Amino acid sequence: MTDPLALFWIMFRAALLSTSGTGNLPILHQDLLARGWATERQFAEALAIGQISPGPTGLWVISLGYLVDGLRGAALTLLAIVLPPLLVLLLVHGIYARWGDHPATQGFVRGLGLAVSGIFVVVMARIMNSAGWTPINLMIMLGAVALGATRRVPVLLILVLAALVGIGLF
Amino acid sequence: MKDLQSPAEQPRRAARVSLWRLLWIWMTIGVQSFGGGSATLYLIRRAAVERYGWLTEDEFTRYWGICQITPGINILSMVILIGWRVAGVLGASFALIGLVAPSAAITVALTSVYAHFRQASLVRAAIAGVVPATVGLGLLLSYTMVRPLLNAARRDGRGSTAAAGILLLGSALAAAVARAPAVGILWSAGALSAFLQWQRLARRRRPQ
Repeated sequence: MTDPLALFWIMFRAALLSTSGTGNLPILHQDLLARGWATERQFAEALAIGQISPGPTGLWVISLGYLVDGLRGAALTLLAIVLPPLLVLLLVHGIYARWGDHPATQGFVRGLGLAVSGIFVVVMARIMNSAGWTPINLMIMLGAVALGATRRVPVLLILVLAALVGIGLF
Repeated sequence: MKDLQSPAEQPRRAARVSLWRLLWIWMTIGVQSFGGGSATLYLIRRAAVERYGWLTEDEFTRYWGICQITPGINILSMVILIGWRVAGVLGASFALIGLVAPSAAITVALTSVYAHFRQASLVRAAIAGVVPATVGLGLLLSYTMVRPLLNAARRDGRGSTAAAGILLLGSALAAAVARAPAVGILWSAGALSAFLQWQRLARRRRPQ
């Protein structure tokens, strides 16, 4: 059973304490797994659906909210990701005009980005742990990297191909 | 918000549009943008700078800089800022709703269809293939996030490059081995990098 208020708080906190569309992933991965409200597989599913749907990639959490707590979870998540930028931009905008170009600000953004990327790899490894590091899984993973790196193959096509491989092999 | 909206910065031939037209413009951007944040940002730039002249190129870049340090999804911050610039609070609200509502609805619809068939054996097999592919795409995403940061660090010099490498590996190790709280890792890395960058430039301004 998920507690809607607690779910909203987890989503809100993760959005408030991170920046960019996937910066909240490390925090959510830790919080939701600890409570047993989401599984590694659900994270992978939500990320995949987020890649397929239109709009900013950051909306992948709405899919996660739905998988965790249905329509209520999706609605709470939507509210939780819209409020932080809205509140911050409307309330403390003056600070940005003054500090936006400060070297410390640039440094902070860089450090945050580096940490998100570092933890991202760990989260991906954990998802792979739960799926199993089998030769087939590794081949699919490397195939997706190779196709994605060309920048010519749409993400949707990569995921469809992977799904077909899954249907053929599993 | 007046700091961002001084009269001198007002674009000269900004197109005046009604709120409903605004809503429509943002909805089409949201629904059209497949392929993640950079696709969305490209469409926003085309509409706001090139088509409607709400902002100049420089303002667009500066706004995007502000969005990098705003909590949450950067694109949403960008939409709020531009919407505000065009028509105040109502403009910001309409822009946000326009961009998010259709995309969120499609995301929910896709997820609910998926959740319905989640246990079907065919879907399970398909997802067994999709999960490792998602991991692959996630690794690629991580690489595209980190590459510009490392390049910028390399331009700053050897010290910054080493610091960036240590922050990257340190965060990964802290998460993998020590299982430290993610918030703690993110903010420590941010604070450390902010301090180093500030010190580096302070030293440069004060030649011995």
